[in-house]
Amino acid sequence: MKVQILDKNDVSVRLLIEGSNAAFMNALRRIIISEVPTMAVDDVVIIENSSALQDEFLAHRIGLMPLKTDLDTYNLPENCACKSEFGCNLCRASLILDVEAENHTITTYSGDFKSENPSITPVSEKIPLAKLAPSQKIRLEAYARLGKGKEHARWQPVSMCAYKYMPIITVNTKLCDLCGDCIKMCPRNILVKKGEKLEVRNTTDCTICQDCVDACQKTPKAIEVKWDENTFIFRLESTGALTPKRIVSEALNILDEKLTDLQSQLKGK
Amino acid sequence: MEGLSIKVKIMKQKKNELKIEIEGESHTLCNVVQKTLLEDNRVDFAGYHIPHPLTASPQLYVRTKGKSKPDTVLKAAVKQIKKDTASFRKELAIASKKIS
Repeated sequence: MKVQILDKNDVSVRLLIEGSNAAFMNALRRIIISEVPTMAVDDVVIIENSSALQDEFLAHRIGLMPLKTDLDTYNLPENCACKSEFGCNLCRASLILDVEAENHTITTYSGDFKSENPSITPVSEKIPLAKLAPSQKIRLEAYARLGKGKEHARWQPVSMCAYKYMPIITVNTKLCDLCGDCIKMCPRNILVKKGEKLEVRNTTDCTICQDCVDACQKTPKAIEVKWDENTFIFRLESTGALTPKRIVSEALNILDEKLTDLQSQLKGK
Repeated sequence: MEGLSIKVKIMKQKKNELKIEIEGESHTLCNVVQKTLLEDNRVDFAGYHIPHPLTASPQLYVRTKGKSKPDTVLKAAVKQIKKDTASFRKELAIASKKIS
């Protein structure tokens, strides 16, 4: 297997993986979406809420707020040694929201939360939670814990995670008369006329839609779009809770754990 | 992490056949195991199915050729996937070193 990083930034990464198969890629994708733990608010204790939003509505909005996650310090509640229903400081972090609109209408943002642990804070400070009219008040305590995406989407570490086959585009220069039909058709603008030749650039952007092949009026077709079933472009976009690299390595650990479990159970039979 | 997240139950075991139920798993693990089994030329047939979408207990079935034992083949497949994850991890470490 060969892995290459095509591009990356703080929240997203694009990998080129050679010598793998769709089953392995899919296992990784499924684990990332549903089994890599992240932090999210699970319990909200509302002390005072005189805003226009109902308690449940407000709690739901707070739950969907992505939090920066510290996987090394915190445990999943089911694996925590405390075994407590309410959690301990190794499996739960509390955040406090105390806002009041005095003379003007204000908007409460995720950034107004005060966290007991400075490393567990909302990913973005600009997520609006509620608008408060003068003299309206919200006072609440939110308890965040680790959870998995399969339980609820708020624990999903990614907003998007997908893979596709590596496209292979070949142009038959003998047949191609540079009519330009395929260039116009391509939604990703990867075909370019350069001199007396049709050039393909940024092949990894191709979605294998075959529109260029359909647009070609030659018989046989002068352009061919195929794909390599052992090479993948794996893309993921983090919510910001974890770094993309951490998400992938965490997913590999989980897959390994599953395999070890299976191995040890097979041994006993 | 502590404790096993999956539970394996043997449903059928013969000379050349093995059918197991993996409680607590889904397509995530079964599909990759099945596809890896099919790449082994000792395997005659490999498949899995989930009897009901609401119960997380897929059934994995392996049938081998000749004298090969189905449990050895299954263990070999699991080992092979482990090799893949190890090489993925190694390659990713190299690739991220290159880019930063």
